[in-house]
Amino acid sequence: MTRQEYLSAIRKELSSLTESEVNDIVRDFDEHFEVGLSQGKTEHEISAELGDPVTVARTYFDDLEDVGHTMKESEEAAANGFAAGHAVPVIAPVSAGSDQTAGTAANPAPAGSAPQAATVKKDVSGARLFVVLFNVLLTWWVFLSIVGILLGFWAASIALLAGGIAAFIGIVAATGGWIAVLVLLGISGVTLGIGTGILNFFMTKWFVIGCKAYINWNIKLYNEGF
Amino acid sequence: MNVQFKKGVLDLCVLSMLKNSDQYGYELANTLSEIIQISDGTVYPILRKLATDGMVTTYLQESQSGPPRKYYSLTGLGKKTLINLQQEWMTFSRSVNQIVGGDSK
Repeated sequence: MTRQEYLSAIRKELSSLTESEVNDIVRDFDEHFEVGLSQGKTEHEISAELGDPVTVARTYFDDLEDVGHTMKESEEAAANGFAAGHAVPVIAPVSAGSDQTAGTAANPAPAGSAPQAATVKKDVSGARLFVVLFNVLLTWWVFLSIVGILLGFWAASIALLAGGIAAFIGIVAATGGWIAVLVLLGISGVTLGIGTGILNFFMTKWFVIGCKAYINWNIKLYNEGF
Repeated sequence: MNVQFKKGVLDLCVLSMLKNSDQYGYELANTLSEIIQISDGTVYPILRKLATDGMVTTYLQESQSGPPRKYYSLTGLGKKTLINLQQEWMTFSRSVNQIVGGDSK
């Protein structure tokens, strides 16, 4: 394909754009031919390197179709902002939602640019009220009760263990027939202490895991709604 | 190489190439097409889109031979976007390599 044929093909494919846009684009390709020729390439070689003019010209319209994708991406970015740790303002006035959507459409954000105004998808104020009330009224007391019970168990374990050890120490000072009873008491105390200690360890561990999950759930609910 | 792969990273490639010096279309097209096997013509729609989005500005500069050449230069927004895209790309490619390159273990 010659230079003129290539440029005509581009021009024809872009006919739906304004004349100044078309001229500007064709000028870019003309410059490309010019530089290529000055480097000793032929028009046909340059055309071949540029690629099919119809395909290339149609790429100019991809941007227009991409507006939809760009919007989706920025919405996803806003929704994932908290999890990904980006500085995307997830908490934004709900009433501004529709305006911002329009703004995004008119001015598509290039993927990965500075965070755009977040597009709020739903009303989260109800969820927030729920989270606050639920925690104040119920969670607080349940949490304190469980902590109390766990502390009690720990105290019991430690007491049993300490009692057992004290009994063993007692053996040293003891005399005669008391030895058998003290040995028995010592062994059972230590065993019970260690046994309940292990049990307590796992209960405490599960409690901590549960608390973490509960806190994460609260944060998610607070930021994203039901 | 897979077309869909390229499409996503071409913006990043073009912005990266402009990081250290302004370049004209032919240079960009030539370098890019040599490295990742795209047709030269693909670069111009990308450059135009980047200009529309305010990532690059253009200016004409006389050359010793032929018509003045259109040079492309990163804007402040373009530089910021490049940094963001670079970080995203590094994280993303590392993650993908962990999955795809699993045969190394």
